Amino acid sequence: MRNAPTERIATDAIKAWKVSAIMLSIIPLLITIALFVLAYYFEFSYWFAIGLTVFTIIEAVVTIVFIPKIRWNRWRYQIFDQEIYVQHGILVVTRTIIPMIRIQHVDTKQGPILKNYKLASLTISTAATTHEIPALLEEEASNLRDQISELARVEQDDV
Amino acid sequence: MFEPKRLHPVSVIFTTIQTFKQLILGFLPIAILAIGDGMFFYLVLGIGVLLLLIVGFSVLTWMRYTYQVEEDQLRIEHGVFIRKKRTISKHRIQSIDLSQNIIHRLFGLTKVQIETAGSDHKIDAALHAVTLQEGKKLHDQLKYKQTVEMQRTDDQVEVVSYPSKQVSTKELLIAGSTSASFGFIIGLFALGFSELEVIIPDSFYNQASAWVVNLTIQAMIVMALTFFIIIWALGILVTLFQYWKFTITRYEKELFITRGLLEKKQMTIPLKRIQAVGIKETIIRQLFGFSTVYVEIASGDINNSGDMKTLVFPLMNRKNIHSFLAEILPEYHLPIEKQMKLPKRALPYYLVRTAFIPLIASIIVAFIAVDWIAVALIVFILSAVIGYFQYRSARYQLSNHQLMIQTRVLNKDILLLKHHRLQSFAVKQHFLHRRHNLASIDTAILSRLAGRHVMLNEVDVESALQLADWYSYEK
Repeated sequence: MRNAPTERIATDAIKAWKVSAIMLSIIPLLITIALFVLAYYFEFSYWFAIGLTVFTIIEAVVTIVFIPKIRWNRWRYQIFDQEIYVQHGILVVTRTIIPMIRIQHVDTKQGPILKNYKLASLTISTAATTHEIPALLEEEASNLRDQISELARVEQDDV
Repeated sequence: MFEPKRLHPVSVIFTTIQTFKQLILGFLPIAILAIGDGMFFYLVLGIGVLLLLIVGFSVLTWMRYTYQVEEDQLRIEHGVFIRKKRTISKHRIQSIDLSQNIIHRLFGLTKVQIETAGSDHKIDAALHAVTLQEGKKLHDQLKYKQTVEMQRTDDQVEVVSYPSKQVSTKELLIAGSTSASFGFIIGLFALGFSELEVIIPDSFYNQASAWVVNLTIQAMIVMALTFFIIIWALGILVTLFQYWKFTITRYEKELFITRGLLEKKQMTIPLKRIQAVGIKETIIRQLFGFSTVYVEIASGDINNSGDMKTLVFPLMNRKNIHSFLAEILPEYHLPIEKQMKLPKRALPYYLVRTAFIPLIASIIVAFIAVDWIAVALIVFILSAVIGYFQYRSARYQLSNHQLMIQTRVLNKDILLLKHHRLQSFAVKQHFLHRRHNLASIDTAILSRLAGRHVMLNEVDVESALQLADWYSYEK
């Protein structure tokens, strides 16, 4: 665990994350508009709405422009014969070791956004925890899934 | 031995009670409405008919429920409208537990609970009422390759030449009188009696005294004290009833526990299902040097009572834990020397974590309600003290295959973890940690079909990496 894992996730992850961030920031945008409308009809101060506008803009810039890039940059993984080694996190950097013999099952998952960019995420479950490698190339994800399930196929003692 | 048998007729009572309990919640609103409308007669009639139906159904259930032991399996047939047959292979049975509540004991009966390895509890079987003799026989017949010799003498199970330990009445009394609820109450009172008058502002007194004007302070104190003593006594009684003659025995592949005064309970814990051993000390018990020993087990239904954390010993002197583990659970040991503490630079993190919110609250209070500043400050100081003790208690120790992690929220909790029971291992660092060369570790064990994360915050980064190296399979 002295060195970071070597493999990066797909570059398109940044685009996919940006799209979902844009979609998420629609919610504060709608609330802001609603507040302007309400302020107009019920005649209270516009300052609340203006404050929220500032917040919305900052939130959008941070989550759309900066966070996906930093997140991608931090995301690393590495598959060994006996364990999987994962690093992620923006403020809190977490490095996790998942031994192959503890793995119960591996899934690949693909939502509409990831599908659009031909990406898929890989979920690794142990008896007590689940771990996700978020955006891999479709093909790579299914290869990894098969590879891991092959490596994890070791005689399991009770849990 | 091969013919199908019925349960003891008393099981009709159990089914009746159980069905009634399930139905009563649904019917309660109707009943309340009926009383409100003055239809009391119809209500009584309705309840009567309902009871009759339930009893009839219970009798049918009992008639249709048969079990039989065959060569190496248990076969159960049941169901009034839908017939169900279930066969449980002897080899798959994990544990057979006998338990008796008051009704069982009146009739000399026992409940037999058969647990298999699966996580689906519908697969497990429970014979609600058979005679004690029959229960013992079943236990012996179904136990796969069990060489345990048990002799029944009078009222207690005596076991030949397996290490065993029983709780003493003195220990139980202490356990009861220091139970959690009591600690909370005593803390409240200590605070109340000593400082209350100084802290609480006069304005509050003036308002409150309006309605207690008839009560003298003395009368109130006497009332409060009586209330408090009653609760305390109740706590002691409950503990005594629950853990009376708590005995744990170590067999080759399982732990066996018997306990209880009115409701006798047996519990079998297969060793291979134990995920970790824990030692817990509440603040009060810590002062007197007492600990509770428990285990984390993989699947849940062994004990249905939610409050019991699969205790393997309700209370013992801290000094005896070492020998207790050596005797009952030699796979685990409690290391005393070479415990690693946290570096000094970790302390600020612990203080900030506990005291930051109270500090902010104090500042707000200082601005908007200056009268209450003393209360806010006391809360702030207390949380800082807690933070300090959390820091002091946090430590770990690594020996061959076992990792010990000691942490505190309020109560001290020591966990003994085996390398092959840890499901994953993570080292976490946030940006301040990186500057101070600190890291937090986070590992997880399986506990009741869900994960329990075990975390130790702000370890020296080098030690954290060493722990990760110890865990890693890629040496």
